[in-house]
Amino acid sequence: MGANWRAQGRAVLRLWWLYARMDFLWITRVPSMFFTYFWSDIVLSVAGVTAVVLLAERFDGIGAWTKPQILFMLGYATLIEGVINTFFGWNILLISRRLGRGQFDHTLIQPRPLWMTLLTEGFLPCSGSAILVPGIALIAWSVQSLDVSLSFAWFGWFLLNLLASTAIVLAFSYGWGSLAFWAPRSAEEISASSHSIVSQLKIFPLDGVGAVLAGGLLTILPAGFIAWWPCRFLVGIDPRPSVGLFTPLAALCFGLLAAFMFKKGLIHYGHTGSSRYLNLGHRR
Amino acid sequence: MKHTQEHRRWLAPRQYAKTAAMSATSVVGDSLLFALDYVLRVLRVLVLLSIWRTLFEGQESVGGLTLPALLTYTLIAEAFADLFNVNTEMDSALWEGTIATRYLRPMSIFGQFAAETAGRWLFGLAVFSLPLLVLAPVLGVDPRPASAMHGLLFVPSLALAVSVGFALDFIFAVVIVRMEGSVWLVNQLRAATTVLLGGALIPLSLLPWGWGAVFGWLPFAAMASAPLRIYTGTGDPVPLLLLQLGWSVALWPVAYWSWNRNRQRLVSYGG
Repeated sequence: MGANWRAQGRAVLRLWWLYARMDFLWITRVPSMFFTYFWSDIVLSVAGVTAVVLLAERFDGIGAWTKPQILFMLGYATLIEGVINTFFGWNILLISRRLGRGQFDHTLIQPRPLWMTLLTEGFLPCSGSAILVPGIALIAWSVQSLDVSLSFAWFGWFLLNLLASTAIVLAFSYGWGSLAFWAPRSAEEISASSHSIVSQLKIFPLDGVGAVLAGGLLTILPAGFIAWWPCRFLVGIDPRPSVGLFTPLAALCFGLLAAFMFKKGLIHYGHTGSSRYLNLGHRR
Repeated sequence: MKHTQEHRRWLAPRQYAKTAAMSATSVVGDSLLFALDYVLRVLRVLVLLSIWRTLFEGQESVGGLTLPALLTYTLIAEAFADLFNVNTEMDSALWEGTIATRYLRPMSIFGQFAAETAGRWLFGLAVFSLPLLVLAPVLGVDPRPASAMHGLLFVPSLALAVSVGFALDFIFAVVIVRMEGSVWLVNQLRAATTVLLGGALIPLSLLPWGWGAVFGWLPFAAMASAPLRIYTGTGDPVPLLLLQLGWSVALWPVAYWSWNRNRQRLVSYGG
């Protein structure tokens, strides 16, 4: 059992290395294009959070959040986007596109477990990592002004919540994206739409929205878990450990739900396959 | 001869009305995902309203805006969001290659896209904007303009905002052609620019360091900030309308000239 896990771990590392090399080759083929997209990614991610930064500057914080705390939250949200882009590119995150376009067979015929393909195939450490830069910069800048002790335990909580938030983004996309197993044409873009919803709402501190809306944004549309809730704990607005554990527990629940839906869809796909892929490469 | 044909194309309102009607009815037929977009918009407006209330706690007004005016500003910005940020989807036509077949239709290129866009707006206004305005009191927002005069002046201001929006959209399409199909890149940069400089998400007067005063002169402000300020009575209508008119007059020749000049650069593969 242990040997099997070690072998699978080595296989994942080998595949990450392989895709990293391929990504590097891609960027060296057309460097000008790479730099254009890399810088535009950075500009876009900064522009995406600028509105809230400017508001925090003008009003010297937002509600219970001070300026450094807001910056930390935005850095955290940006970092999540960066991690997602780095590890789950090529429509691995937006899985409904692969399903809807009939491209999932390409994934299924790979000589390795499906989870391993999904975990490794979208690894883009060169071309997809641009957003990590402003994310890390915002966190590094803001963390110096936060009223928290940067202990080993704090970094442990930070990493745990970071992983959990990333898992929730993935689970939400896969949960909705599974609909493309049944409705490949009409649900082809559903992962993109659902991701867009949580992405656009993730930059706001949701303290004043009321219990009903906040509850909805932590369950039906879990935008609150991408930055707001974990950061309330990490920046010390609500430092209770139970608050810090809430995001990982939510990630577990969302992950199980998404896995259930995806598996159901996969069984359906096993019976019907996809009728959208044509020999010449285009979709119907 | 060529000019006569072109003029006839523009002077055939029935074709454009039919195109708009087809576009309006196709919104539901293509995919039901449009409903998700409306969900997002409702959530966004709810979150923004709550943030404004939090920020204005204990403050009479900020940057010349009172809380009621700001709430109305945000609600109207969302209700007319499509008109304040014109998107003809010409970028998709360039990306998918369908731009080639557009030239076979007996209608002008600008007119086709404008009619389709207007059709989509009609659907959105009926299904989303109208219910939002009706439900505004439930959200604690007064959707009415500052006065009857401001409401009347909002109409030409909105028309000018749409005019500037169309011109800018066609100019961005030219940029896509010039950059040989970098649709995603241009669109993302455009979205980032418009959101901040347009003033629809955050009123320009609330920006720090006096940035709002500078951004207010740009064409993006003519697309959203100007009509919203007129509606809420937070800006002098005459200079705002003149600014919009100026940008409209300046941008349309640029859009027309640059599109015609770049037509030969169009490459259409599709797929």
